[in-house]
Amino acid sequence: VAAPLAVLHRVRHSNGWIFGTMLFSACLSLLASLVLSIDAVRLAADPGTALSCNINSVLSCGTVATSPQAQLFGFPNAFLGLMAEPVVITIAVAGLGGVRFPRWFMFAAQVVYTLGVIFAYWLFYQSMFHIGALCPWCLLVTVSTTLVFATLTHVNIRDNNLLLPPRAHRALTSAIDADLDATVVIIWLLGLTLVVVLKYGSLLFG
Amino acid sequence: VTAGGGAVIAVLLIAIVVSVATAARNPPADGAAAASDTPPAGATPAGALAVGDAAAPVTVELYLDYMCPFCGRFERANGAELERLVAAGTVRLELYPLSFLDRMSAGSRYSTRAANAVATVADRTPDTLLAVHAALFANQPDEGSRGLSDDDIAGLARRAGVSQQVTDAFDDRAFEGWIAGSTEEAFAGGITGTPTVKINGTVFPGDLYTVGPLTQAIGAAASR
Repeated sequence: VAAPLAVLHRVRHSNGWIFGTMLFSACLSLLASLVLSIDAVRLAADPGTALSCNINSVLSCGTVATSPQAQLFGFPNAFLGLMAEPVVITIAVAGLGGVRFPRWFMFAAQVVYTLGVIFAYWLFYQSMFHIGALCPWCLLVTVSTTLVFATLTHVNIRDNNLLLPPRAHRALTSAIDADLDATVVIIWLLGLTLVVVLKYGSLLFG
Repeated sequence: VTAGGGAVIAVLLIAIVVSVATAARNPPADGAAAASDTPPAGATPAGALAVGDAAAPVTVELYLDYMCPFCGRFERANGAELERLVAAGTVRLELYPLSFLDRMSAGSRYSTRAANAVATVADRTPDTLLAVHAALFANQPDEGSRGLSDDDIAGLARRAGVSQQVTDAFDDRAFEGWIAGSTEEAFAGGITGTPTVKINGTVFPGDLYTVGPLTQAIGAAASR
């Protein structure tokens, strides 16, 4: 039993796994952002469509045109994904190629992406409890953003990029060594799944 | 710590499986009734519920979904005007209640349930159709909510003048199949969203959300 676990542990902490997961998740997130952006642009291009419930829209109709949540910064939220995810993809590909970025660079990436995660979860909360529509592409953004955040944090703790005091850094490093981060992410994603299933389970069998 | 994490993961997995199983055991109601696509009495071949004088000079077709917030806005702006023009014999109103926003009612299929109630009223007591239609929009639920319950819909209809006998027939869900069919037909026929309004067969391109433009267009069509 111990041997496969040890292998799993080693693989999980390898650069290939970390940056590979980051690359894969960032690509998913980019794809979802692209779909949502195209939808937003298509609706905006036709004022009549924007003021109606469109059959093909992937979002709820009220949201697309009227809710302030849809365009928090004055443009469709999905545009943020189009801007941010290519940067993450670049970091992941460079990481796979063995590039070590300067500490300030990775620290900045962590700060910006943390804001992105907070925004993604705010949107998740809005769509679950205020907008109410089941939007598969939005869920994909939530999950892939979480995975990118987890891998980025993993790397930055491992490489001591977060400008933390030595004691905090040691504590976080040993937590990662004990695979606590993976446990937390798995629990988190399962919790997310449970919330979605509880709210929309009946739709799965509609 | 690892064991604790494993336990939490196991509990969550069990909870997910249980919720999925529960959802699978209680699928949103769609019984055998939905298989039939018998149209309500008086429905047009194209799938509309017609109100008003068949010889009226102007036919107004309205494609709507009772969950669609913009249809609610349309109704608030133009509902009274249309009612007046129908009563005056100027307009024959053809309603196409669609059900594509079923995906926006958290599994309760509100669009279909509301449309079935309206179709049942059209079938049994067409005189009260417009009143029920207006009442559903006056009490329109938020998009994304489960919508009004079957009891609430029946209550609204009774207050709008529909008899208990007819509201009891809502539960037969006799026209759900017909609604699904006419929804598909509407979109196959080029309708891309709701509300869509046609005046004598041509899509009205003007402002649907303020009083006036639609009435003027109808007036112009009537005097042609």
